[in-house]
Amino acid sequence: MSVAREFTKGLWDEIPPFRLVLGLCPTLAVTTAAQNGMGMGLATTFVLLGSNVLISLLRNVIPKKVRIAAYIVVIASFVVIVELSMQAYFYPLYKVLGIFIPLIVVNCIILGRAEAFASKNKLLPSIADGLGIGLGFTLSLTFLGAVRELIGAGTLFGRYVMWESFQPLSIMVKAPGAFVCLGLILCLMNWIGAMQKRRQG
Amino acid sequence: MRDLIKMVVVLTVICACSALVLSFANQATREQREYQVLKYVKEPSIKAVLTGYDNDPIKDRVTLKMGTDKKGKPIRKNIFPAKKGGKVIALAYGSAATGYHGLIEVMVGIDINGKITGVSIMTHTETPGLGARVVEPAFTGQFKGLVLSDALKVKKDGGKIDSVSGATFSSRGVVTAVRQALESFSKIKKEVIS
Repeated sequence: MSVAREFTKGLWDEIPPFRLVLGLCPTLAVTTAAQNGMGMGLATTFVLLGSNVLISLLRNVIPKKVRIAAYIVVIASFVVIVELSMQAYFYPLYKVLGIFIPLIVVNCIILGRAEAFASKNKLLPSIADGLGIGLGFTLSLTFLGAVRELIGAGTLFGRYVMWESFQPLSIMVKAPGAFVCLGLILCLMNWIGAMQKRRQG
Repeated sequence: MRDLIKMVVVLTVICACSALVLSFANQATREQREYQVLKYVKEPSIKAVLTGYDNDPIKDRVTLKMGTDKKGKPIRKNIFPAKKGGKVIALAYGSAATGYHGLIEVMVGIDINGKITGVSIMTHTETPGLGARVVEPAFTGQFKGLVLSDALKVKKDGGKIDSVSGATFSSRGVVTAVRQALESFSKIKKEVIS
């Protein structure tokens, strides 16, 4: 597969929360607004890119038996860097995301990419893979956050966009709304996938 | 055997590098993180008690060592100076006293002559609807312009402050905290301005 293909697969074919159905904890928990989803997505992308690069470079050095431990140390280091810089420069976002920033360590997308891709591929494809999957994750979270924010509060990125008599459905910004919304998106994605398959015969 | 040694060495080196990088990151962001916490936690109360300044009181903060705690460690206290044209016109700092139920922490703004420019309650655990009403401007506004004198007491104790009805202890707590702030003012002023 070409490097470009490694990048674009993360945007549709293997888009993490909707196709692989991975990383659902942050997907459901922080997407109360488009901005929060985007912040979480970008933080995860940074960690994913960093860990993919390092693990790809170290893939011939790390012994097979302790590889998971080594990956976790690498991932955790990047997460702490993200956490510290977010606290220093984006304090309000840091407050909103709270415990879900340290929890990026156990986001299975990141360990999954390290184990399934970066540990077996050269640097360039690993960068493309990390960026693609990360961007796919960011877009998914931003989209889910935008839908929930729009229906649940009538705003988009904090700005009011709905008509005046619009009644916000506040359940959408609460926990049940996350499940309902994710379910509908998964349904839509599968339906589009099935349509494509049928057209190809 | 060689495998085992390699495993230990590789893992140790990775962990050591990680620790090095993280200690550096911690060091590099420390000042900025402290600033952010103060900005979002303390700035609203600082803004409420100081007026007419043109600097950033949080950026210009002075940390003083004030006495020692029970373990003998020095207590650090942040003083936020309000400046105009480079000259200090007032100081704001926190103070705390016991109310009806737990500590009441207040931010007190005091101008250079020892006159109160404003009082704002930062944290408290007073009874909702009763003692908790000490946060209202109707109560905290009474302190403005007062100096350390007998007037700075609740009416029951012979002063001029109207206590919140049904909440004498909470009101007294706030007054005590404000008085404590004023009592240490001359010492703090000397240290900050020098």
